[in-house]
Amino acid sequence: MPLFTLDEVRKTFTNGEIKEEILKGINLSLKEGEITALVGASGSGKSTLLTIAAGLQPATNGQVVFNGNNIATMNDEQIRQIRASEFGFVFQFAHLVPFLTVEEQLLLMLDVSESKLNKHEQKTEIDRILKLVEMEHRKDAYPSSLSGGEKQRVAIARAIIHKPKILFADEPTASLDSKKSKDVMMLIRELTKTLNITTLMVTHDEEMLSYVDRVVKMSDGLVIEK
Amino acid sequence: MNLAWKEMKKNKARFLILGSIVFLVSLLTFIISGLANGLSQDNAALIKDLPKGQFYMTKDSDQTYNLSKIDASTEDKILKNTQDAVAFSIQMGFLNDPGEKQRSVAFVTSTNTKSKLFPNIKKGEVVLDSSMKDKGIKIGDALTNNQYSGKLTVKGFVEQKKFSHAPVAYININDYKEIYRVKEMQLVFVPGDKSPKHITGLQSFSKKEFLNTIPSFNAEQMSLNMIVWFLVIISGMLFAIFFYMMNVQKIGLYGILKAIGIKTRKLFQMMWTQMVFITIISLVLSIAFSQIFNLVAPKGMPFSLTFETTFLLSIVFLIIGFIGATLSGIQIRKVEPLQAIQQGEV
Ligand SMILES: Nc1ncnc2c1ncn2[C@@H]1O[C@H](COP(=O)(O)OP(=O)(O)O)[C@@H](O)[C@H]1O
Ligand SMILES: [Mg+2]
Repeated sequence: MPLFTLDEVRKTFTNGEIKEEILKGINLSLKEGEITALVGASGSGKSTLLTIAAGLQPATNGQVVFNGNNIATMNDEQIRQIRASEFGFVFQFAHLVPFLTVEEQLLLMLDVSESKLNKHEQKTEIDRILKLVEMEHRKDAYPSSLSGGEKQRVAIARAIIHKPKILFADEPTASLDSKKSKDVMMLIRELTKTLNITTLMVTHDEEMLSYVDRVVKMSDGLVIEK
Repeated sequence: MNLAWKEMKKNKARFLILGSIVFLVSLLTFIISGLANGLSQDNAALIKDLPKGQFYMTKDSDQTYNLSKIDASTEDKILKNTQDAVAFSIQMGFLNDPGEKQRSVAFVTSTNTKSKLFPNIKKGEVVLDSSMKDKGIKIGDALTNNQYSGKLTVKGFVEQKKFSHAPVAYININDYKEIYRVKEMQLVFVPGDKSPKHITGLQSFSKKEFLNTIPSFNAEQMSLNMIVWFLVIISGMLFAIFFYMMNVQKIGLYGILKAIGIKTRKLFQMMWTQMVFITIISLVLSIAFSQIFNLVAPKGMPFSLTFETTFLLSIVFLIIGFIGATLSGIQIRKVEPLQAIQQGEV
């Protein structure tokens, strides 16, 4: 059984009188440990699909099945719990908490996911992950003093520190230059492979596709395997 | 993790500004309410310091105590029936000090010398409010009055006895009758919790009602109390507005925190913690400052701030701050994580 399945997912936005169906029956399964890239023209509905999959907005129709449970029928609190402990997020911007140091960003995530680790184990885990993203030397820095690439690496660290089952990434390299983009991509690949995290990632950068296992394309509100 | 604390530590300036606004508004409220209380004390300490009870004056006086003349037989009847009852009169007037300077006073005299409500004064003597000491009058000084044949010797002073912003001068009933050429007393006071008796020709007043018949008292207190409550309401709105602005700035942050799975309740707790922390520190400071002001306020300034008043107002401030912050925090509930993500960098 796949870890995550979208089954006939539809999404309609209503702007006044105009109804627009952006997703017209999406069927997509994610295989455990795989990195799936979602590509397609701007405005084709990639972000909409990703956020529905991540439980950040509801679908108009269809099923979002994670671990055998249909997220579409869960209440807000149940979805929040899944987001907090089973999902990780990376977006175009790092969205770090401005008044927390790098280390505290990760501590907060462990807090939110109700980590079972004790204080000492948490520190060790944070050190380990920060080493992986090569940010251990900026442990006590605030986001305002980090470069774009550094922020994104902290955001990635925050997205995986609680060992989520699935990592959702929406154009994580869009705000970075091409050299940094490659670094971040390589980092995501390395981390998700070592930690066995399943990844769904939106990208419009052809260069990034060499780092993923599978590419699906959005077109006319449907996905096609590439 | 204590997000509330971490944020305050990082954004000291922002919270300092909020704190100083709370501090200034509450200090202003304390000072005004101290002034209101001081003025009311200055205007009517003589009456306010009496125990609970009923005041009687004649119906024809039309609620004006110095037009009231209670005839001797009615007075006798009440005083005989009620042990602690006392008949008394108040008249504004002047005393000339040894330097022939006119001093405005409120003459007070009473019948019942056994009740300890008013001091017992012998003929030819006077007991003054202690504020007269500051005017250079000493025990043993002989004071005169233009309507009085003899001299009034100062026997002593009493603390905080004022009426209509003038120091009280207690005199003997016979001296009073000579100065004002009257036989009757204006008022009868019956101490105790009992409900007012119906006495023909007389109208009864509770202490509060009687205070309100003093012409300046009512107007003064009403405007000052109005200012105090306006300040309380304004500070409540300031709270709400400030927290609202801070929350608006943090919408993006709240969205991200929600996206990664933080509970909405945690965000409210964060806001409440900050609100209570800031408010309590500011209130403690303004209580300290208002008490210092209480000590150093110039002697002539009617200022009296009790601990109870400060405490009560502080509680009101805390409640109002809480309501203000919570109302402005309702938007936290409405924040959609998605919006924040789409809006870009916070
Ligand atoms: N909340 C919304 N309300 C109305 N229309 C929306 C909303 N979100 C997205 N859309 C529309 O859906 C379409 C797909 O958007 P999106 O999923 O962001 O595309 P992509 O990420 O592929 O560029 C766009 O035309 C966009 O205007
Ligand atoms: Mg998009």
